[in-house]
Amino acid sequence: MSAMTSALRRRRHFDVTPYLLVAPAVALILLIYVYPIVRVVIDSFLSPTAERGTTVGLANYTFVLNDPVFWKSAQNNAFLLIGVPIMTILALVIAVILFDQIRGWRIYRTLVFTPYILAVPVIGVTFVYLYSYNGIVNEMLRAVGAGGLAKDWLGNPTLVMPSILSVIVYRELGFGVMLFLARMASIREELYEAAMIDGAGWWARLRYITVPQLRTVITFFVVIELITMLSWVFAYVYSMTGGGPAFASSVLELYIWKYAFAYRAIGIASAVAVLLLVATSVFIVVQLLVRGDESDTGEE
Amino acid sequence: MRRTLARLGGLAVASSLILGACGGAATPTPASSTAPGASAPAPSAAATEPVTLSFWYWAESDAPGADKWMAETVAEYKKVQPNVTVEVVSQPTDTLMSAFQTAAASKSGPDIASQWATGPVLSFVWSDSVAPISDLVSTDEMKHWLNTNENVYAGKTWAMPMYLLGIGLAYNTELFAKAGVTPPAGDRWTYDEFLAASAKLKAAGITPFVGGDKNGYLGAWWFANIGGQQLDSVQELAKAVVGEVPFTDPKYTGWYSILDDYVKAGYVNDDVMSLDLDQGVRLFQQGKGAMALTTDGMLATAINDLGGDKVGVMRPPKWGTGTLADAGNATQSISHFVTSWSAHPQEAAAFLQFMHTPDRLTAWYKATGVIPADDRFDASLVTVPQLQAMSKFETTGPQVWLENWIPPQIDGEADIPAGQMIFSGSGTPADAADLWERVAGTWRSAHPDELANWQKLAQ
Repeated sequence: MSAMTSALRRRRHFDVTPYLLVAPAVALILLIYVYPIVRVVIDSFLSPTAERGTTVGLANYTFVLNDPVFWKSAQNNAFLLIGVPIMTILALVIAVILFDQIRGWRIYRTLVFTPYILAVPVIGVTFVYLYSYNGIVNEMLRAVGAGGLAKDWLGNPTLVMPSILSVIVYRELGFGVMLFLARMASIREELYEAAMIDGAGWWARLRYITVPQLRTVITFFVVIELITMLSWVFAYVYSMTGGGPAFASSVLELYIWKYAFAYRAIGIASAVAVLLLVATSVFIVVQLLVRGDESDTGEE
Repeated sequence: MRRTLARLGGLAVASSLILGACGGAATPTPASSTAPGASAPAPSAAATEPVTLSFWYWAESDAPGADKWMAETVAEYKKVQPNVTVEVVSQPTDTLMSAFQTAAASKSGPDIASQWATGPVLSFVWSDSVAPISDLVSTDEMKHWLNTNENVYAGKTWAMPMYLLGIGLAYNTELFAKAGVTPPAGDRWTYDEFLAASAKLKAAGITPFVGGDKNGYLGAWWFANIGGQQLDSVQELAKAVVGEVPFTDPKYTGWYSILDDYVKAGYVNDDVMSLDLDQGVRLFQQGKGAMALTTDGMLATAINDLGGDKVGVMRPPKWGTGTLADAGNATQSISHFVTSWSAHPQEAAAFLQFMHTPDRLTAWYKATGVIPADDRFDASLVTVPQLQAMSKFETTGPQVWLENWIPPQIDGEADIPAGQMIFSGSGTPADAADLWERVAGTWRSAHPDELANWQKLAQ
């Protein structure tokens, strides 16, 4: 049979049924994931009040890049990135301690993970009361004679972002601990046994066995939390400070929300959303590259 | 054959799913709508077909007891109009505007909605989201409503007032006596007298003024009550909004200096930035501060909590020399309106009118202690002297709530954070003034559509 005949037979037998069957799901995915992104990009070039068809070119981007509140918001998001190494190290240390199954480790594990399963607004409102100038934290400080340390944690423009960061770390920590514990449970015991036979101490085992074995998970956690700090902190800020005092705790998501829903300037909100998408995409690409390298080298 | 039928069946299923998804994504068209300015059909008699009205309602923060009153009103209306069901959805303050923005953008949502008067209401009028109430309600009815001027544009009234809210400076007579402070003989102090009293109170170990600015509304109240006292009219404010004069002119923002001095003198509670407005007033109601800016409802609560003999009220101090320095500050605060996409505008308007029947007005006052915005209200029901005084403040002379006369974006991005700058000490009065000017400029460039309308307001 000639090659041409075979090709013709393959064309006659091309089966479109599978494509038709997955078409609804693909359409749904396109509608839910792709269309909003395309729409936001288009809206970012339209009039601020999103009158369809009124193109303003880069005017919305110019507006945003000249707005001090935008830069303050971006600065605050950048500040929150500091929390990622803090969270990673803390989660690793806690996971290692729990993995050693100290007495009561199951209780500690539950306590560490519980905040992660609570809704962010619940935690936010709770910490508003804790961090209030006459709240529990300051009352305790005053009770032990450290009244000088009692500050207006959420009302002071200098302290508000570190205070919010502490709440984010408090909640997100549990996710990292559980991730690391799950991975540590699959590390081969022989590695540790061999290391102990060779005289390796706790620190050496942590440094040369545990951390390298957790590398993939650590990378995953770091990238996820980097993305979180850029684009998933709205609920914390909204429930705790509303972006105040005087924009001191404003973040990019809040900026987008205000312009989209409070001020009816969809075009401006869309421009910021596009900028935020580009920023978070950088981290996503980094993660994909790292995971790609690791699979090429055969690492887990 | 069987394989062919299976393929055809799969094709049919897939096609129907795709078509169904496309059909579902289409924007629904309202069944009927009353375009702004269109003349309304004649009011109908009792609705014969079942009608369900959705009402996005806000008033509880202004007038505690309002939600309960509304629930009773809905129940009473059911007796009058058995075929009409009103579903009330209480709105939180923080999302009052943003939630309706979404509804307005999609032209779907409640039949009746609530927004703060003037600026917020008109911003939705200009986006064709509001049906003019004057097209739905008779002139004979509307002539009884008070402060309707706050929502007049292009010759029409767009929203209904329910109550009059004024802000008074409540004071604790016991703390005053302790500090040797004498309340004013008239209805208000001068600002110098206010300062002198604050100094005496602080010297006596009493917090002179209590409030909460975490959500920014205390600063906004200071703007509305003190900030506009150098102006002669709301049109003068509108001129700055549209850019004819700069906000950095001391006439508009010079008052931040006196607020800054007041805060730096230590006359305000330490935790002002930890507390929301309501929480700050609560300090006064608990006797932890000598003075507070309060609404009628908050004042009523203070009287209940502290005792009528321990609470007095005066008008906010006079600082400025403009005509508005002598104006009262009563506003309808929240306005209720029929949405342009409502399928039942007449029924919606009928329910709003029912809220103004004498029985409902009396019930409103008994539930909230706040004066209804209706001259049919029996003023003899106000028996508490402090509330009688507030009622007199609110119904005597011209009334202006200055915050109503700025666009929501300027209110949210300038008025509120500028006050927070001063109360938190993170900015100077000059910073506050610059913020107003910058935000007004950004609003003008972001909303050329609204700018034209505000220019008409400025004339």
